[in-house]
Amino acid sequence: MAVAHRSEAVKPPPRPVLIAIDGVDGGALMAAARTALGGPGRGGISGWDASGVFQDLAVADAGAGAPSARTLLLLYAADLAFRLRWQIRPALAEGRTVVAAPYVSTAIAFGRAAGLKAGWLTDLFRFAPRPTRQQIVLRRAPDRIAVKDGFVGFGCDRLNWSSAAGTRRQMIAEIAAHLRRSGRRTGTPRPRVRRSA
Amino acid sequence: MSSPAAALRLARRSARRHFTDPSRRRGLLVAFEGPDGSGKTTQRKLFKTWLQSEGYDVVTTKWNSSDLIKPIIKSRKAVRALSPEEFSLLHGADFRHRVEQVILPALWDGKLVIADRFLFTGLARDVARGLDLDWVLKLYQPLLWPDLVLYFAVSPVTSGKRVTATRMPSFYEAGQDVTEVDDPVESYQRFIARVIREYESLSLIFNFITVDAEQSIRDQHYQIRELFLAGQQRPWSTWNLDAVAEWRSLTGARR
Repeated sequence: MAVAHRSEAVKPPPRPVLIAIDGVDGGALMAAARTALGGPGRGGISGWDASGVFQDLAVADAGAGAPSARTLLLLYAADLAFRLRWQIRPALAEGRTVVAAPYVSTAIAFGRAAGLKAGWLTDLFRFAPRPTRQQIVLRRAPDRIAVKDGFVGFGCDRLNWSSAAGTRRQMIAEIAAHLRRSGRRTGTPRPRVRRSA
Repeated sequence: MSSPAAALRLARRSARRHFTDPSRRRGLLVAFEGPDGSGKTTQRKLFKTWLQSEGYDVVTTKWNSSDLIKPIIKSRKAVRALSPEEFSLLHGADFRHRVEQVILPALWDGKLVIADRFLFTGLARDVARGLDLDWVLKLYQPLLWPDLVLYFAVSPVTSGKRVTATRMPSFYEAGQDVTEVDDPVESYQRFIARVIREYESLSLIFNFITVDAEQSIRDQHYQIRELFLAGQQRPWSTWNLDAVAEWRSLTGARR
C-alpha cells in the first residue's frame, strides 16, 4: 500500500485574508492596494464603484437635486454590498487574499465629517465582515483631491453643501482627521503620509 | 464654519418653533400603505381631488420616484442584478432623497403631502426578503413619522387576483429573487403572503389605521375622509425633530 508523503497529507488549506485600505485619496489607495497584494496571482483588489452606481449618479440630471451625505452613504453601502457579493466573498471562499480599497472606515469618516451619528454609520455597515488587517493611507494637501480620485473626492464634489459643513477642503481635512483617530483606536499601523505632487 | 452639531441644535430649535406656531397652517403628511392590488392609488387620487376642493395645497410623492435614484434602481432591476441588501439600500437612498427634496420642503411650506407608499413599504418588503427589521428600520433614520398612516388591508388572494388580472407581476414584484419560483404568478402569491404578514406586524407596532380595502371604492373614500378629519388636528410629532433638523442644517437654513 502506498503511503502518502507526510508533507502532502498535512498541507493546510489556503487562509483567506481581507485587507482593508482606507483613506481620502483614491489614487493613493489603489497604489497602496497593489503594494499590499504583493503581486499578481495572490488575490485581487476590490475598488470603489464596482457596481457603477456612482458612475450613473455622475451623469444624472442636475435638476434632480444634489444628494446629502446620508444618501451618498446609502449608495456607498449598496456598492459595497455588490462588491462583497461578487468580488470579496467569492475570493475569500477560495482562500485568497482580497484588498478592499476603500472599505468601511472611509465611509464612516465621511459620514462623521458631515455630522452623522457614529451609531447610524456603524449599523449601516454591519453587513460587512471585519477585515483581517486594516491600513490607513493619508497624504498631505488633501484639498487637491479631484473627482477622479475616488469616493471622498466624488462625494465632496456632489454633496448638498450647507454653510455648516464649511468648505470642501475643511471637509476633506475633517475626514482625514477621523481616519487618523479610527486608525489609532483600532491599533492599525501609523497612517502613511505621502507628499502630494 | 460652525460645527455640524451646533448647526443641528439651531435647526432643531427653529423646526420646533416653525411646526408648533399656531398662527400658520402646518404641513401634514398622510401615508397610504398596503400590498399591491389594494387600491391605494385609486383612493389616493380621490383623496387628493377632495382635499384640493377643500382648499389644501397638495403634493404627492410615490415610492421609488426620486429623479436622482430611480434610474439607478430601474436599470439594475431590468437585469435582475440586485441582492436583497442592495435592493433595500437603494430604495432607502431613493426615499431619503425624496424626504429631503420633496417631502420636507413641502411640509415646511405648510402643504399637505400624500405619500403613495412610505418607509413601511421598504420595511415590509425587505423583511419579507429575509432582512433583519432592526437593520432596515435604521436605514430610514432619522425617522419621519406621518400624521396619519392608512393601511389598505386585503388578503393575499385578493391582491393576487387584482394584480394578475391585467398583467404579469415583474421579477422583483413577484419576489422571484427570493422565492426561486419560476412562475411569476405562483411566486407572487407566496411572496405577497409574506409581505402582508409583515405589514400586519408593522400595523400593530406603528398604529396604522386600517381601511378594509375589500369594501367598495366609494365606502373606502368616505371612510378616509372621516379618518382624515378626525386626525388632522393632532399636534406635530416631536419625534420628527431629528429628521427636520438634519434637512434644515443641510440646506443651511436657507428656506
